[in-house]
Amino acid sequence: MASPLLSGSEVQWISAGVGFNCRNDGRARDEYRPLEVELGVLAQATGSARVRLGETDVIVGVKAEIGSPDPDRPNCGRLNFAVECSPVASPAFRGRGGDELSGELARALERSMYPGPSGRGGGLDLSVLSIVTGKTCWVVYVDVLLLNIGGNLHDAVSVAAKAALADARIPRVEVVPGEDPTDEPDYEVDDDPSQAQRLDTAGLPLCVTVSQIGRHCVVDLTTEEELCSSASLQVAVNSSGAVCGLTKRRQQGLDPSVMLEMVEVAQRAAAKLHAALADTLAAQQAQQMAVG
Amino acid sequence: MGRRRSAAAQPRQPLPSQAMSAAAAAAAPGGSEALQAEAFQRLYPDQYLAKFVAQGVRPDGRPLALPRATSIGLGVVTTADASALVKIGSTTVLAGAKCEVMPASADEPDKGRLVVQVEMAPLCSAECRPGRPSEAAQALGEQLGALMEGAGVVDRRQLCIDAGKAAWAVYLDLYVLDADGSLYDACLLAALATLASLRLHAVTVDDAGRIHKAGEDGAAAAPAAVAQQRPGSQQQGAAPPLRSLQLDCQPVSLTCGVYRGQLLVDPTAEEEPLLEALLTATVDEQGDVLGFYKAGGSATASQQRVLECIEAAKMRGKEVRGLLQQALEAAGVADGGAVAAGS
Amino acid sequence: MAGRDAQSVPWFAEERPQAVLADGARLDGRSFEEFRSVFLKTGVISQASGSAYAEFGRTKVMVGVYGPRQSDRRQGYSERGRLACDVKLATFATRQRGIFGQSQEEREHSAAMQTALEAAANLDSFPKATVDVYCLVLEAGGSELAVAITAAALALADAGIELFDLVSACSVSRVEGSLLLDPSADETHREDGGLLLAMMPTVNEVTQLVSRGQWSGAELKDGLELAMGGCAQLDAAARQCLREAAAAAAAKQAAEDGAAAAQPAAA
Repeated sequence: MASPLLSGSEVQWISAGVGFNCRNDGRARDEYRPLEVELGVLAQATGSARVRLGETDVIVGVKAEIGSPDPDRPNCGRLNFAVECSPVASPAFRGRGGDELSGELARALERSMYPGPSGRGGGLDLSVLSIVTGKTCWVVYVDVLLLNIGGNLHDAVSVAAKAALADARIPRVEVVPGEDPTDEPDYEVDDDPSQAQRLDTAGLPLCVTVSQIGRHCVVDLTTEEELCSSASLQVAVNSSGAVCGLTKRRQQGLDPSVMLEMVEVAQRAAAKLHAALADTLAAQQAQQMAVG
Repeated sequence: MGRRRSAAAQPRQPLPSQAMSAAAAAAAPGGSEALQAEAFQRLYPDQYLAKFVAQGVRPDGRPLALPRATSIGLGVVTTADASALVKIGSTTVLAGAKCEVMPASADEPDKGRLVVQVEMAPLCSAECRPGRPSEAAQALGEQLGALMEGAGVVDRRQLCIDAGKAAWAVYLDLYVLDADGSLYDACLLAALATLASLRLHAVTVDDAGRIHKAGEDGAAAAPAAVAQQRPGSQQQGAAPPLRSLQLDCQPVSLTCGVYRGQLLVDPTAEEEPLLEALLTATVDEQGDVLGFYKAGGSATASQQRVLECIEAAKMRGKEVRGLLQQALEAAGVADGGAVAAGS
Repeated sequence: MAGRDAQSVPWFAEERPQAVLADGARLDGRSFEEFRSVFLKTGVISQASGSAYAEFGRTKVMVGVYGPRQSDRRQGYSERGRLACDVKLATFATRQRGIFGQSQEEREHSAAMQTALEAAANLDSFPKATVDVYCLVLEAGGSELAVAITAAALALADAGIELFDLVSACSVSRVEGSLLLDPSADETHREDGGLLLAMMPTVNEVTQLVSRGQWSGAELKDGLELAMGGCAQLDAAARQCLREAAAAAAAKQAAEDGAAAAQPAAA
């Protein structure tokens, strides 16, 4: 990733600003940049969303296809996350250059939203995606495209993924048994959008990245601020405040008490983010209902 | 100029041993000679080896015709259906076999499948890198696979469950953990030990394609209880639900190097780049040659050398088969080999 | 014919146990805060700069460290050294046979291990060079990544890389509301949530923390405390292992010096 080079004085300036609780753009340490969410930007997809968090620009498209379920969980659908770093964002992403970053983002999304190996603890109830237990189910592909890197990618990507999943309309499927009981049943897919089912995304977590600059915990960093931070913690928090996934990134070690403090900061910030997203989603969906 | 060239040719050595020997040299007066010897070996590896060979020994103290100490450990990995850890000196190879059920193929309805793959883990040597398997690993895998097929070590008809319907597919994966010379010998021995200790469950496949254990629930439950009590060892062969593989022959190989007209048996990784030619001979229990391999090298091998190598391989074969028999008995696994190992 | 054939199906003689907690006790008889039997050994690979082998119950991990050696040309200039980690599971390590290439999970484990070890290594002591840490999991019996991180720290120490402190790592699983330290594979399969903690106990810094599943604030604190206690125990065991290895090396050196003094070398 072609990151801007920072001089020592700039690093000092940013760290001092964080200390005074007034960052380069005037925000406090626990304030998010203005969040813009747009639903339904891709007409062909089952659901889509575009999120702009400051300079960071992310588009997510959701596509549902019929497939076979996981042998470990025959009565659940499947969720597949894929992230692509577009070369539009940075020339370093040409070819395989963005693979590491995209893999990291995809795995972070998967870990926070997908149930663990035991099948419990996921944000989304996947059993609604099942069509015929053990044989067919909906496989939902969530594809994320990064258009511009302005810092704090994980948060933007998780907000966009949640918004797109909220926007997704899974067509209703009717299972028509064949004449012979041993025959493969027929599937009738209902194209009527008003009959489509929506996913209950209230339980999906949002990821908040809390970083340490100097001795303070900061939320929602820009690219320049990211270069000054020494350690960061990515916390996925759901709307009831439970921590759904935690990963530590970056080189520096963290004191355990500082880490717990960061988790609390993340929980507070996530509550605000959830509220903001819920408002936007409600407004947009009301708009869609009024039009459609 | 000459010094720089030989410095480039020397094998990579771990840094701390140099630091340790430097520290030891500072500490003890006798240690400076050890430091000089090591420096000499790094700068002039060829002359270093030549001085030893002229006296009829090798740098690690072995006579020219003695292979290194070999050990075989069975059942080291409990998640694999059979496993073996083979050490020849420092060379370490771990083999594991996993069995899966496959539908019988159309052209060979009464035979199963045996897939042998070798991977040189990046931790085995300084030249290995993670990612695509190196050429050396692929070459090893192909050689082994060709030997297994050609020599008919395992008759694949034993892997059949239901002729025309289902058969076992045995995936034998070998990981080289420490590459200190004679990789082919260690890999072959590990593969052999794993196959000799492999137990196949007796299963039946019903029409819907589901796989069941053969026998009533009582017979099936007993081996499961035994397995929980003794996680490390293989199951006792007394219960009929398990049967061992019969090996039609037990090939054993030996790698020798030709250096200044002398034959060095079982070269280490230090000696290998200095050898003029590398010969590998594979023999079975009767002393018949199953395979002989000499790839390039800067010198030819005379007929005398070839015969010497084969003789050494035969003696090695007796020794190794004895070890394998001991290991199989120690693991509580009845011998699956067809021919009694000569000792 | 590389990798698994799409047609062959795995078959297991025994099913996984349905419940891992029987009457409030773990299946293998351990208490909730007890480790499995721990075995650590360094210097197991003759070709590597440093190596370690760790066995925690049924989890067996081998780590080899190479370096510091020249960085790859593509990575460019760096004033600090680099640590490159690679974690691989053997195909027969897991219950179901794995693939030969590197899966997503392995890539994630590699990234997690790199974050865990970077804080501990003194990267300024080998500028422009890379230290490669290669880890191979021979048998995955539970908490593989935690065992791998502990073994990797030992291997780095064995290779003589300067470390600020030894890193030890352990996992905690939450099953039916109870927190279990150092879970086995069966326990992890039935967990509601799990976390992995890697820390430097003497300096009291956390170098890596990964959690899965839902945790409330209080549960997270309990889990962290349990894990930190576990790491302190492991640290003691790791230091003991290094001390024994150093003592053995010193004894061997003394014996060699004695033999060399008795017969002057012919070189």
